[in-house]
Amino acid sequence: MKFITKQIRQLLIFCLLFVFLTDSMAQQTANAVDSALLDRINVLEKQAAYTKPGEDHFMVVGLATFGFVSNKTTTTIAASREVTKTNSLADADHYEFSPMFLWRHGNKFLLEFEPSFSKNQLGVNWAAISYFVVPGLILRGGYLVLPFGTYNKRLGAGWINKFASDPEGVAGATDYGVEAEGGFQAGSMKWSYDIAISNGMQLLPDGTMQNAGITDNNRNRTITGRIGWLPFSNSSLELGASVMTGKVGDASSKTENISANLYALDMNLVENIKPFQLNIKGQFSTTNVDHADYINPTDTTKTYSFNNRTHTSYIMAALRPMFSNNKVIKNFEVAARYGNYTSPANSLLGTKDNSLALGLNYWLNWRTVVRFTYEGIKATNTTSINTGGTPGVVTQSNSMYLQFSIQL
Amino acid sequence: MKYLYNKKTTISTAFLIMIGLNIVILNSCAVSQKIATKSGVQLWSENCQRCHNTPPPSTFSPEKWETIGLHMQSRALLTETEKEKIVAFLKQ
Repeated sequence: MKFITKQIRQLLIFCLLFVFLTDSMAQQTANAVDSALLDRINVLEKQAAYTKPGEDHFMVVGLATFGFVSNKTTTTIAASREVTKTNSLADADHYEFSPMFLWRHGNKFLLEFEPSFSKNQLGVNWAAISYFVVPGLILRGGYLVLPFGTYNKRLGAGWINKFASDPEGVAGATDYGVEAEGGFQAGSMKWSYDIAISNGMQLLPDGTMQNAGITDNNRNRTITGRIGWLPFSNSSLELGASVMTGKVGDASSKTENISANLYALDMNLVENIKPFQLNIKGQFSTTNVDHADYINPTDTTKTYSFNNRTHTSYIMAALRPMFSNNKVIKNFEVAARYGNYTSPANSLLGTKDNSLALGLNYWLNWRTVVRFTYEGIKATNTTSINTGGTPGVVTQSNSMYLQFSIQL
Repeated sequence: MKYLYNKKTTISTAFLIMIGLNIVILNSCAVSQKIATKSGVQLWSENCQRCHNTPPPSTFSPEKWETIGLHMQSRALLTETEKEKIVAFLKQ
């Protein structure tokens, strides 16, 4: 009995020692784990401190467009016809690479800068600072896209455009100036305004209006403004009216009091008629320059004059079965566009162009498109013989484009 | 004035009137609703498609959507409420 008691006592002592040693080891292991965990948390906290959103944010987006174009141009002079054919990969007129830098300071300031490589040259589309003053008022200063119509400011980007080409004559006006704009609701309708004061357009000696990338040629400013109206609560329709007015002649010259007045009407309709989405967009604009005498290119000692008015219009429609259940068919889109461009007759610039573009697009995703576009332009020369022109010459240009465009 | 009465102008005017009537008819079915009562997803689907396809929220990080929201507010002249609701939806 005494032996058994001794054995039990030894066993108990052994168990106590075992428990003590195991606990001690576990304690050491736990301390080591806690220490590693704390170190890891410290590292993560430092990393989080570096990556937490601050008040400012810088980002780069942008777009790239490239493709292939094949063109056949037939020029008819009286009874003779001349045909030229060209085709080009990396089509210089329709290639574009434009990164866009956006730099936000808090929620009040935004710097926007878009350099662009297009038409074999490096340029700047816009570079401006915006200040979001209060709801419904944004102030901007810098190199601006002027608010004349909507095509250049909203619809002309390669990844947005339904066609590989732009409608003729809607080239954007970009200038140095200041701008105030905003959008607000009135009942179930919406309104927007956009007004800019800029250095202004410049009238060249041949009567051409230069309105992009210009240097200031006088002390007068040009005022440009647009009113937009969205009459339906679902924002499906927008109607706009724009005005641009200012003196365009060189200071201290015979044309210094010559003014130009431009007017534009635009419309934009997007309707979801399931399974289709219908897009109808259009813009009409007219340019009226006061009566002026221009240098006759055939005899520079003499001047001549013409009615300096230019009309530009386009209307386009696009249909896409966006809501189709078929994953392939839903990405196809068909589009058609009719355009007209009439520049001053009896001048060296005179032409009357009618264009028709047909497009078949395939959207790889929401911002990437492969486009096939056919465009035919019939141009009738309306220049004056007295200025060395060849009135009556008809030029028919047919182009086929295959183009890829992406926004990044 | 001769310009106003030529055949092309008449056809174009008639075409535009037809489009106008269709727009009114199509939208007369829509229930008038103020922006304040609309959700971010509804405003996103109505406004983005005015110019381009609607971007999915996964395209950019929340921080980037804040910046793009300001850019698009000035480009499309969205109201402040529209911008805030659309950005809130896209940041999800």
